[in-house]
Amino acid sequence: MTSLECPEKQRLDILRELLASATHDASAAMCRWTDGLITLSLDEGREIPLEDVTAELNLGDELLTMIVLSMESDIGGEMILTFDELNGRQLAASLLGRPVGNDPRWSELEKSALTETGNILGCAYVNAITRLIDHELVPSAPYFIQDFGASVLQQALAAQALTSDQVLICRTGFHKQGAELNWHVLFVPTAALRQSMENALHR
Amino acid sequence: MTTSTMAEAPSVTQVGMGQAAVAQNPKRLSAVLGSCVGVTLFHPRLQLGALSHVVLPESHGKVGAGAKFADSAVPHMLALLEKHGAFPTGMVAKIMGGSCMFGNGGPLQIGEANIKAVTLALEAAGIRIVGRDLGGSCGRRIHFDAATGMVTVESAGLPPRTI
Repeated sequence: MTSLECPEKQRLDILRELLASATHDASAAMCRWTDGLITLSLDEGREIPLEDVTAELNLGDELLTMIVLSMESDIGGEMILTFDELNGRQLAASLLGRPVGNDPRWSELEKSALTETGNILGCAYVNAITRLIDHELVPSAPYFIQDFGASVLQQALAAQALTSDQVLICRTGFHKQGAELNWHVLFVPTAALRQSMENALHR
Repeated sequence: MTTSTMAEAPSVTQVGMGQAAVAQNPKRLSAVLGSCVGVTLFHPRLQLGALSHVVLPESHGKVGAGAKFADSAVPHMLALLEKHGAFPTGMVAKIMGGSCMFGNGGPLQIGEANIKAVTLALEAAGIRIVGRDLGGSCGRRIHFDAATGMVTVESAGLPPRTI
């Protein structure tokens, strides 16, 4: 059976299987980076009508701290690590071995700590997907953004929106010693990357 | 693509990606924009307006594309407003958004393309653009007031501005 013949639910189940495997690798990298403190799990991988994305992901109009990595390859995609202000500050402080500061501005060191987290996480995730689909994905240098979550996600979704009114978004959650944190990774593959992932699991 | 018309219970209607909505005084419309472009059309005498949340520049003739594409959004908004008795004469437009959110923009310079396409579509429809808040690398939260046609634009780290 080819992916085109699969019912939609089955196609999504297949993608979730692959993404769960990549999340497992990213979780191991994150666990090492944070001395065993933080782990990840795949919360959801689903298709959402374009007009409902903001509401469904509860991105609303809050300002978020984000680290963005783009896949610099022919099949593309974006990975966005999101934190609310408090959680972002706490992670940076924990990595730097300092208490959370009072300065509302982010220092270069704090930005660097989060950017490096995005790099480690993103590379583990992308390497796992590269292995699984047998097609090289090269992540861009990560960069730090503070903006509306919906604004950043829009550009990531543009490539999928070219061909469909439904978009596939995968959301990964973070846990600190079992407790859920308000951090997420949003993985937005292009249609071409999605097709490569589906094909890989049919080989 | 879903289209909602005439905001009901809540006084502010959120307009999602690819959607358009119509509002009359005292209703308001709102959207969060990145690379997308928000287009407002306002009929001052009727205190009636519309907001489209445009995602991409070209529909390539796709039927029923609604507000998702710049070239289909403007005719779609005009049709919605006409249903409420507003015709293009005297109508004015404002356009906001079209940022490049990802550093160098990646493979799709979609914000810039959206701005160009929306501008062309408004020119083709003969609608005058009376306000712009475009480009850059920041997101925008916009609020359209159907009583005045004014649009408040908020960006991270900047004071709100009104166009």
